[in-house]
Amino acid sequence: MKDFDELVDTGDLEPEEELRLRRVHDLLLAAGPPPELPAELSTPADPDRAQPETVPILFRRRRAAGAVVLLAAALAAFAGGYAFGHSNSSSDAFVARRDVPMHGAAGRFAVIHIAKKDAVGNWPMLIEVSGLQQQANPRAYYELWLTRNGKPVVPCGSFRVHAKTTRVRLSVPYTLRRYNGWIVTKQPPNDESVGPVVLRT
Amino acid sequence: MTSDGELIQRAAGGDRSAFEQLYQRYARPVFGLALRRLGDRGRAEDAVQETFASIWRSAGSYRPDRGPGAPWLYAVARNAIVDRARSRADLPAEIPDSADAEPGPSDQAEQSWVSWRVHRALEELPEREREVIALAYWSGLSQSEVADFLGIPLGTVKTRTRAALAHLADVLGEELG
Repeated sequence: MKDFDELVDTGDLEPEEELRLRRVHDLLLAAGPPPELPAELSTPADPDRAQPETVPILFRRRRAAGAVVLLAAALAAFAGGYAFGHSNSSSDAFVARRDVPMHGAAGRFAVIHIAKKDAVGNWPMLIEVSGLQQQANPRAYYELWLTRNGKPVVPCGSFRVHAKTTRVRLSVPYTLRRYNGWIVTKQPPNDESVGPVVLRT
Repeated sequence: MTSDGELIQRAAGGDRSAFEQLYQRYARPVFGLALRRLGDRGRAEDAVQETFASIWRSAGSYRPDRGPGAPWLYAVARNAIVDRARSRADLPAEIPDSADAEPGPSDQAEQSWVSWRVHRALEELPEREREVIALAYWSGLSQSEVADFLGIPLGTVKTRTRAALAHLADVLGEELG
């Protein structure tokens, strides 16, 4: 921790002024560094456009909520049909305990359905994605990540989309509470670095 | 210097330059508050946009007779951030292995308010004073290393640091008790 006496020459300071500066010094230490503003926030949005822009935000939320309902209905139909068609194969049944909605630009959305952790510590998951662009290149794919403070930390599986809505089953062994979000990145062919984010929680 | 309250009132009347001044003063504190609360840069960026959209929309509800502008802005920001936090996806819950060492809600609120005010006050400093404060407090450099880094004498670094602290003390005023 920084020492006030190392930062400032106090020799000619009046005691009252020194006390005042020491108090500021303490506040600076308590506050910590201010964050770097992302480039997107370097200037304010046009105030005349700021108000209308709140509409898409609300709309997006409602649409995302609607999408969750629709996807839940679709999954129910899917799961019902699956269970009906596989009534003798209960070990394959997927029962979601939690649903995690994700959203992206241009109406892209997804829901991660997470089932109960299995006996050896895997979380079975079913991700349903909608609106993602189909890959033109056969080696391109999407990657699901668990994130901490917005940064991808561990990969949870790769997939390609083949239709308007694609369902993929994945499984991860991680302790989920150590993370605080999810993202899906678009992975170009022959590039193993983390690609651009297309969906986030 | 125009007070926050005056700027809010001018923004309520549709004054864009007042709104932009508020943005320059508060974008970073709002972003810092959102980052601490949401823990995700993308969501924090959204919260900043929502906060300023709310400020523009609801500036007319600010009543100067009920207090200065900073607490009103803080309340608007907190509402926008809490709203975004509520929409946050629910991750599967697991029982923690041990007690949480994080500060309790009241400590966090106090910490948030202090950071909000200090980061806001830093925006008032001239660039060269803000730079020396950032280097002196958060870069991990010693004052001699700061002097080398800036290419100025050590005495100038100390003088500038002292001037910056005095400037901050003026801006923070009531915060100093």
